[in-house]
Amino acid sequence: MDSLFRFFRKLNILFSRERFNRELEEEMAFHRDQAEGELRSEGVPPEAVHNAAKRQFGNETRIRERSNEVVGFGFESVLQDLRYAVRQLVSNPSFTIVIVLTLALSIGANSAIFSVIHGVLLKSLPYPEPDRLVRVFLSSPDFPRFPLNPFDFKDLRSRNHSFESFAAFTRGDVQLSGSGEAERLYGFGITAGYFHVLGLKLQLGREFNEHAEIPGNGLQVVISDRLWHTKFGADSNILGRKITLNSQPFTVIGVMPAGMEHPGNEYHSLPYGEGIDVWWPFSFEGNPANRGSHFIEGIGRLRGGVSLSQAISEMNSLMAQIQKEHGGGTWQVLLVPLNEEIVGTSRRMLMVLLGAVIMVLLIACANAANLLLARAATRQREIAVRLALGAPRSRLVRQLLTESLLISFLGGVLGLAFALGGVKFLVSMLPADFPRAHDIHVSVPVFVFTFLVSIVTGIAFGLAPALQASRTDPRQSLHEGGRSATASGRQRRLRNALVISEVGLAFILLIGAGLMFRSLVNLIRLDPGFQQEHVLTVSLSLPRAKYKERAAVAHFYDQLVTSVAVAPGVESVGAGSDLPWTGYDENTGFTIQGKQPPPHQEFHARYHMATPDYFRALGTPLVRGRFLTPSDNESAPKVVLINQAMANKYWPNEDAVGKRITFDDNPKEKDWLTVVGIVGDVKDRPNSPGAEPAFWWPELQAPQPDMSLVVRAKSDPLSLVNTVRNAVGQLDPTLAVADIRLMDEIADTSVATPRLAFLLVGLFAGLAISLAVIGTYGVISYSVSQRSAEFGLRIALGAQRQDVVRLVLSQAAMLVLAGTALGIVMALTLGGLLRNLIYQVSPFDPLTFATVGVVVVFVALLACYIPALRATRSDPMTALRAE
Amino acid sequence: MLILNTLVRGPLHGYGIALSIKRLSLDVLTVEEGSLYPALQRLLLQGWVKAEWKKTETNRRARYYTLTAAGRKQLGLELTQFEQMISAIGRVLQGA
Repeated sequence: MDSLFRFFRKLNILFSRERFNRELEEEMAFHRDQAEGELRSEGVPPEAVHNAAKRQFGNETRIRERSNEVVGFGFESVLQDLRYAVRQLVSNPSFTIVIVLTLALSIGANSAIFSVIHGVLLKSLPYPEPDRLVRVFLSSPDFPRFPLNPFDFKDLRSRNHSFESFAAFTRGDVQLSGSGEAERLYGFGITAGYFHVLGLKLQLGREFNEHAEIPGNGLQVVISDRLWHTKFGADSNILGRKITLNSQPFTVIGVMPAGMEHPGNEYHSLPYGEGIDVWWPFSFEGNPANRGSHFIEGIGRLRGGVSLSQAISEMNSLMAQIQKEHGGGTWQVLLVPLNEEIVGTSRRMLMVLLGAVIMVLLIACANAANLLLARAATRQREIAVRLALGAPRSRLVRQLLTESLLISFLGGVLGLAFALGGVKFLVSMLPADFPRAHDIHVSVPVFVFTFLVSIVTGIAFGLAPALQASRTDPRQSLHEGGRSATASGRQRRLRNALVISEVGLAFILLIGAGLMFRSLVNLIRLDPGFQQEHVLTVSLSLPRAKYKERAAVAHFYDQLVTSVAVAPGVESVGAGSDLPWTGYDENTGFTIQGKQPPPHQEFHARYHMATPDYFRALGTPLVRGRFLTPSDNESAPKVVLINQAMANKYWPNEDAVGKRITFDDNPKEKDWLTVVGIVGDVKDRPNSPGAEPAFWWPELQAPQPDMSLVVRAKSDPLSLVNTVRNAVGQLDPTLAVADIRLMDEIADTSVATPRLAFLLVGLFAGLAISLAVIGTYGVISYSVSQRSAEFGLRIALGAQRQDVVRLVLSQAAMLVLAGTALGIVMALTLGGLLRNLIYQVSPFDPLTFATVGVVVVFVALLACYIPALRATRSDPMTALRAE
Repeated sequence: MLILNTLVRGPLHGYGIALSIKRLSLDVLTVEEGSLYPALQRLLLQGWVKAEWKKTETNRRARYYTLTAAGRKQLGLELTQFEQMISAIGRVLQGA
């Protein structure tokens, strides 16, 4: 009740503030008049009366202020401070622009990086209770992450108690034909309960049950919302309709909702996200006793209360049991939380970027603090006057903080605008396989983050200068009269410390950028093992239903390659089971004639298929022996081509050409394959430590229906797209030509992440060194202006100009060298964090350290040369007159 | 408390209050007179005093402060507390 009364009275006064002040004024004037009258009647001399009354009354301004505070709301004085702050900033536009812009850039960089981190790392995955989802792999010393065997999966599914639901999937694209041109669609073969594991509901129909897993029952399909809309006009009677996939009639039994995101996969990896159009039921074909073939990936939802380690130990004991039942094996089960699986690899890079932008922000804060300190020195008189007039120090600190908060808020608002642009740019720069890229937005949490960062920033750079300023001793400052006040020792130390840390931080960022640059150069200079220029690639998938015979598949690719080869503009053409740097990972064990594998191990290598001119078209060199030829056909003796890595691994000190391997346990003479040649190595990824051992079967001897065509053009490879389309169309008009890409693009994508990391860190480092140089310049030029009298005297006493320059530069050099030393120490401490992000460069690379050190010192001293020159122009007369 | 007490005997303007405190305390309690005004504003805000503009004997406009019922109650409360404290201090001093 009372507080309500007070509130309304305050409100009333708020709206009649002028009247309040008028009345207070009148009241106080009345008081003084009365007091003066009294004093006069007491016999005080008339000329002294006025002052005596005033003294007796006290500090009028302060009383006015206090009366106003009593009846004012808390925010009113804040508004007052704010108004004052705005006036200050407007009256000093160049100061304001510099400080707000630097803060905006660094806050903007922070917000942009935070947007990415929020979207990728912090926001939970779009599945219910996503932390209970785990990916299930097998693991062995040779293959740390390996897919499951379908029948092993089935046993694990029926026996385990750790998972509420457990499913498996494998990438399997399909060709949709029927109306219009045939189209290849991204597809997954999934077991029953796959969507249930993810916690996703279909918008129409139902998902597969275990009945669909039985061979022969699999002609059912669940389609994406996108496909439903684009191909079937969102037909509400789609359920039960038959569509032609891989030349077979599939019945649509379900439609997924829009925005459904698949959890990512390992085999022929498609990055996490939207993009899958078709889910078909995985069917358990083959002999359940044969557990050698591994190609499906597991995903499970842990039962509530079951920990990851409990699940791992149960799955491991089940796997041991299963292997005992089926003739041994030493596979361990590897469970990876889904979130870790999707974003784990990008976490390190994002954290490094966050560290970089925080350093930039710290530098910007140090700079802003320095600017404020310099300005506080010029405002010392003003502050002294206000203190002398009775302003409490706390109020002064608050007011100076209001100013710095206003600055940082302006910086924050502008920074948010920068962030909006920056995030768009970032997302467009992200490599195609970057997880959750479409989850990156400038959203409410980003606004909150920016707001908080602005507050912290404002206090961080404002507090020290404000406290400094409030310590001003009014008597001293005012006594010094016309002379400009010199910075106190404490203030100078603070400013020097700020500059040293700025230089140190900038040094670290430059080291980071330098290391990433070296690593990028290493990657680009790397011999990829093929020649990417002028190469067009497409992928083809022959429907099993139509190409039942092995010979039909072999014949198709033989004819295709022959007809494209003679087309104008084509230099060479080949087909292969895969392309370099696309994440292909198919392995097999084998026996080498006359060799025994070490105990508990087997000889293994990656297997591929290729037509004779595949390597010629790719530009991969032949090291020894011969390439595959058209005569390596069905009726000829079996041959393989191996890579250098396989030759080195299995025939280290001998000639591999002519040696024989086999895949049969009891080989007859015809089951032996002879190594006819060795080709150069191509690594899995440009930054892989080394190439995997691999061999190639001739496509004619081991036909593979899914192949990539590699066409080396005489000039523009894109002009050959139609040539390829026509050639395919003439052989089979129902076949889709998919994944039309240049080898250049594939190569480019593979360095996208290191390039982006370098670009961003380089950008931040550039910003950092500019800020640090501005900061050093500011401190030196301030000190020069402070010491102009001294320099003037020195010159008057005969000092040479270069002496003065040397004097100033040596002061600057002290700061810069101290900063660089600090930077070196910190960079050596932090260097290890970069190890995973750089390629073939040590985080302590002496060349980078030396270069960056020289650049930092040189640039900073160059900036200080300007104030040094100004110092030489100090006129002794002006200096002396100013005393 | 002192301000409220001076108003018990009837409305006074600010100068009158200052004067009365000064005189009654025999010049012991002379604070900066001006600090009276923020205090008066606080009392107004609490609703313990009312203010109105009136003419003085010398025919000038002055703001007169009057004790309200709530103010009287508050004064009583504060006086009691004050007396309790004084007697407590007295007892302690006597005991020593």
